[in-house]
Amino acid sequence: MLKFPKSAAVAVLGLTVLATPAWADGDAGAGEKVFKKCSACHAVGDGAKHKVGPELNDVFGRTAGGAEGYKYSSAMVAAGEGGMVWDDTTLTGYLANPKGMIKGTKMAFAGLKKDDEIADVLAYLRSFSQSEAAVTPAAAAAAVETEVAPVEAAAAPVADQAVPAEAMIVEKSQGAFGLGRVATPDEVAAWDIDIRPDGTGLPPGRGTVAEGDPIYAENCAVCHGDFGEGAGRWPVLAGGHDTLLKERPEKTIGSYWPYLSTVFDYVRRAMPFGNARSLSDDDVYALTAYLLYLNDIVTEEDFELSNENFASIRLPNEANFIEDGRPDEPHYAKGLEPCMTDCKPGPVEITARAQIIDVTPDGGGDENAGGGID
Amino acid sequence: MVDQTGPGGARHAASRRNFLKAGLLGGAAAAASAGMARAAGDPLITEVQDWNRYLGDGVDAAPYGKPSEFEAHVVRRDVPWLTSDPVSSINFTPLHELDGIITPNGLCFERHHGGTAIINPADHRLMINGLVDTPLVFTMEDLKRFPRENRVYFLECAANGGMEWKGSQLNGCQFTHGMIHCVVYTGVPLRYLLEEAGVKTSGKWLLAEGADASAMTRSIPIEKALDDCLVAFKMNGEALRAEQGYPLRLCVPGWEGNMWVKWLRRLEVGDAPWAQREETSKYTDLLADGKARRHTFVMDVKSVITSPSPQAPVTHGKGPLVISGLAWSGNGTISRVDVTIDGGRNWQPARIDGPSLSKALHRFYLDINWDGSELLLQSRAIDDQGLVQPTKDALRAVRGGNSIYHNNGIQTWHVNTDGVVENVEVS
Ligand code: HEC
Ligand code: HEC
Repeated sequence: MLKFPKSAAVAVLGLTVLATPAWADGDAGAGEKVFKKCSACHAVGDGAKHKVGPELNDVFGRTAGGAEGYKYSSAMVAAGEGGMVWDDTTLTGYLANPKGMIKGTKMAFAGLKKDDEIADVLAYLRSFSQSEAAVTPAAAAAAVETEVAPVEAAAAPVADQAVPAEAMIVEKSQGAFGLGRVATPDEVAAWDIDIRPDGTGLPPGRGTVAEGDPIYAENCAVCHGDFGEGAGRWPVLAGGHDTLLKERPEKTIGSYWPYLSTVFDYVRRAMPFGNARSLSDDDVYALTAYLLYLNDIVTEEDFELSNENFASIRLPNEANFIEDGRPDEPHYAKGLEPCMTDCKPGPVEITARAQIIDVTPDGGGDENAGGGID
Repeated sequence: MVDQTGPGGARHAASRRNFLKAGLLGGAAAAASAGMARAAGDPLITEVQDWNRYLGDGVDAAPYGKPSEFEAHVVRRDVPWLTSDPVSSINFTPLHELDGIITPNGLCFERHHGGTAIINPADHRLMINGLVDTPLVFTMEDLKRFPRENRVYFLECAANGGMEWKGSQLNGCQFTHGMIHCVVYTGVPLRYLLEEAGVKTSGKWLLAEGADASAMTRSIPIEKALDDCLVAFKMNGEALRAEQGYPLRLCVPGWEGNMWVKWLRRLEVGDAPWAQREETSKYTDLLADGKARRHTFVMDVKSVITSPSPQAPVTHGKGPLVISGLAWSGNGTISRVDVTIDGGRNWQPARIDGPSLSKALHRFYLDINWDGSELLLQSRAIDDQGLVQPTKDALRAVRGGNSIYHNNGIQTWHVNTDGVVENVEVS
């Protein structure tokens, strides 16, 4: 439960945020530096657009989950519907521990650990907010339950979907059941974005390593690291050469992936994580070129990747992929009659124990253990 | 009945937080009855209990019923260190708490790559395009007008047991084997939908795509698509759970779980596989020589003892003990399960109970009279194709330690004299 401070009522008087004395201790200049931790996902200032996270102009006074044209998590939408409005108190709580305050928020950010960092970044953000006037006493009085269940999907705007039906000529299916209707070429084009290793499906476009560099820095580096080395536990995208035979192989685009088409296809369909399908085709060409560069597969910064030269680029590990060979393994022989009695010579000895490593949740240890699931 | 002694002599008993639950309970009961001078017997019987006197909740207390409050510990669990973010992560089915062959909907493990998509069925579309006579779009309403089938299938993640490739790591069958569930699906045979669009003779592969934020994609050979795949909208009689792909998911019976695309929105027919991220970077099996197998679709014959197991220790001491477990095969039914209590020196066939359905979980039991000595429990399944579940060592010998996927090796649980169970490997 969140309580709204009395000071929020001050905002009703229309005071500009900079004049609010209670919160004057943050330093906007220092806050600009702190904001570097946010800028991979958020833009603020003139012409700021939504990125992985919503743009943050006028965030003070904004209802949580209230920026137009951004797709929030249902938890954030529910918090806004519960009456939560961004002000110093709510922002401080959220930035200190995003998931602790709004369970289910999709902001993949651990939180700012230092109070002065929060105060500074808020001072900085406040300089892009016109007023705090959005907080009404009624809203302030509404206590917010942050752990609300996901909102009914049915509440989604109806306007978005109904339109095409009118304009479209609906052709019925000619199949045995006569169910469904014929897909229009535009519909197929909107969803059919897959690309095959031979380049089938590539859209026209181009981009260079140099062009990819800033796009990567802005949209990808926060998770994947400046050089594709992976920040924290986010996936590693580059390096790992000659590790496939090692104890802990590092499978990256350069060391493991068989085809470049997968990079383009996947980045276009699923990245940046939390804001899929937001990049232009040229951006994706530039990013793909940049990932080749990070993996030392191309070395010139002016290397340009386009739909024309795409299929000529081969990844080093392609030849190492083979078909499923399990049926040829010895234990696959059918009709083996397994031994039932006296199958092992002496008493059986324990050779390894899970408790030695103890990485079971609640088991005491929490180190990163060997092996993974994906 | 069996009365075999465990291997080795007295082994140092590992002290665990869950030790001797039975002893503690027994002590409490004794103390309670000691205080009851006038009635000889269990006060739970000799005294009138609250629930026997006062009224319970009326019928509408829970319009959608939940398990008893005493079952609150029976939940899916995750292993936080496995993945980078809970939005692209996994949790595990609590197999040690379940019986029979059906997994309750709310306990089916979850794996998704872009969080749970929330989709109003009225807004959901399924498109078929590519090498077909007519590209089609279906609404959920359209789909529910095709003839339906009901089928019980297990769904196992190819990475189930992946953390155990190099040796025993996680202490609990929920974590070592819990990326599996088994429910009854209601849906339309995929074949009907593909025939409605008319697959061209050049069509050899099918790409299935999800509508979630990862737009999950997998290539499936057309023979499989036309054979037993289902496009399902119900599980265990009710609508799919959101985290299982509501309103529509693909079922690819017996094949790795990642192919069972959730929030299914598109099926494209093509003449070659697409080499998507989930069939190159992931779900390919790296061998010791640096080669990597792709298109390793079938989930091999496998079994595990779910109780006793590390999270389900023996708390009752010597005497009758029910050993219970699950067996399954992506090839068909299970024809036999053998169980050993001495680490694989001697085996005896277990009793399979309940329905034996193709590509579904099978429940087996071995009822023994435990003499209180150490046990090394293993189970070994054999399927109707005659394939025998291998040892982990046999798998490592041919594949090395970095395969991650398709670990169907035999699991060993060590039961000590206190009934505490540990995940171990044996000679
Ligand atoms: C890894 C990406 C990422 C980083 C880094 C990040 N955010 Fe966010 N942020 C998001 C996403 C995604 C959302 C939307 C959350 C939701 O819908 O649940 C969000 C939401 C917010 C909101 C709520 C806005 C609204 O319209 O309701 C604020 C305020 C915010 N972030 C501030 C910050 C600040 C300040 C920082 C840096 C200290 C930061 N974020 C760092 C991704 C990020
Ligand atoms: C908020 C964090 C985040 C950001 C920002 C982000 N990614 Fe990712 N990326 C992920 C996660 C998480 C995965 C794994 C998703 C899964 O589990 O399926 C991933 C996977 C990938 C992969 C596949 C890695 C592999 O080994 O299979 C590539 C390639 C990739 N991202 C590229 C990009 C690019 C290019 C950008 C910028 C446009 C980007 N990502 C931005 C989090 C992020």
